[in-house]
Amino acid sequence: MHLNKRIFVALLFSFIPILVSSFAHSQQLNLTITIPALDVSPYHRPYVAVWLETPKRQSIKTIAIWYEQDDWLKDLRQWWRKAGRNNRAQYDAATGATRKPGQYTLQWDGNDASGKPLPAGDYVLLIEAAREAGGRDFLRQVIQWGGEPQHYQLEGQLELGTIAIDIQ
Amino acid sequence: MNKTITLTRLCATATTLLALAGLTIPGALAHDRYLLPTHTVLSKQGAETISLTASISNDLFHPDMPLGDNGRGTTPPELIPLFKALESVVVLPDGSTEQGPSWQAFSRLSVADFPVQSDGTYRIMLRQPDTPMTTFTKPDGTHGRIFGPNPKLPEGTQEIVRHTVSSRVETYITKNAPTRAALKPQGAGIELAGDSHPNDLFSGETAAFALLYNGQPLKQPATVRVIQGGTRHRNQRQAIEKTTNANGEFEILFPNAGFYHLSAEISEKAPDNPAVDVHHHSLFVTLEVFPE
Repeated sequence: MHLNKRIFVALLFSFIPILVSSFAHSQQLNLTITIPALDVSPYHRPYVAVWLETPKRQSIKTIAIWYEQDDWLKDLRQWWRKAGRNNRAQYDAATGATRKPGQYTLQWDGNDASGKPLPAGDYVLLIEAAREAGGRDFLRQVIQWGGEPQHYQLEGQLELGTIAIDIQ
Repeated sequence: MNKTITLTRLCATATTLLALAGLTIPGALAHDRYLLPTHTVLSKQGAETISLTASISNDLFHPDMPLGDNGRGTTPPELIPLFKALESVVVLPDGSTEQGPSWQAFSRLSVADFPVQSDGTYRIMLRQPDTPMTTFTKPDGTHGRIFGPNPKLPEGTQEIVRHTVSSRVETYITKNAPTRAALKPQGAGIELAGDSHPNDLFSGETAAFALLYNGQPLKQPATVRVIQGGTRHRNQRQAIEKTTNANGEFEILFPNAGFYHLSAEISEKAPDNPAVDVHHHSLFVTLEVFPE
């Protein structure tokens, strides 16, 4: 009887990852980005990139790229290196104009650049900002996709304010 | 007789040989040379032009003397033979080679514009093919040097050494995604090769490179010297020195972001060539390293 109960408990727990991963496609990532107001002159709005990589630095998906002229995309150095320079078609859908200081929200449905649901596992969310005549911020957060709901809060140095990451 | 002395000395160790027999490369030829591009990485969709400066200078990247001229600039008389020998060459992203930018000399540097049309990696160089040079000791004990074939040597000259000197002064530019066709060896002199891409270098990351000699991995160990720009504004040159392994390979961990000057030099005896005692080859590459 005891033995059976143990087996039952073991079986119960062994199914949890399967159940969770089957829900992975319905998970959503919500991101709040703060672009701080800076008392500087001249002020140019920052270029901002938000993207996802594997822990081995393979780019998976550009979630947002806010810019004006492609000449300066290279200044988002890490994004340019891992996502931007390789395939424009992969980030075309994520492009937008630069934003003035304020708080902005982004959602991502968990589909990679080719539209496939992201397999469960560890990933790295990267946020990079570069401002003309200003500085550069580069933030990283390891996330688990297809697991528990998570919440992270990051602080930029200068070009980015508070970044809130919610995985539901 | 003179030749016998020279050849005897050529059998000595390389260091002794270079020190005693006057086989070091004298004068302006022993100086560092560089190309310095305004940009090494570009992200524009259309064509874009970059500018470059070039100089013979031991301060990196602070120009001292010009390097290269199209005939319209200010060339010091002593550099005219060198400039005549220089070839401005560019290797395009498809691997094809064509005439490089037109350099114009100013008093302390040379300048060129280079239009970057297609996507990919370009290799821009000022190449000096094997140039004959004869060094000797005059009867009064002073040393002399004459460029060109069949030099007219003064009476009573001793320790005559017939050299050839070749050099490559290079840098790389990439528009959008980096490519590797322009990195293929040209097969002459010393060249940079290896797994790392010269336009994908970041501080704190180890880059894996290799030296080729006449298109093949350099087997004899050579010293590769890597110096970050800005030497005029610090007290030590802080050269990173690496020795190549049996496959010519070496690794560099760039401590900071910035422009770096990578150089290597080899001298090889020419026992099978009756007209030459020793060949000298040097390589000067400018690399840009970005912050993490």
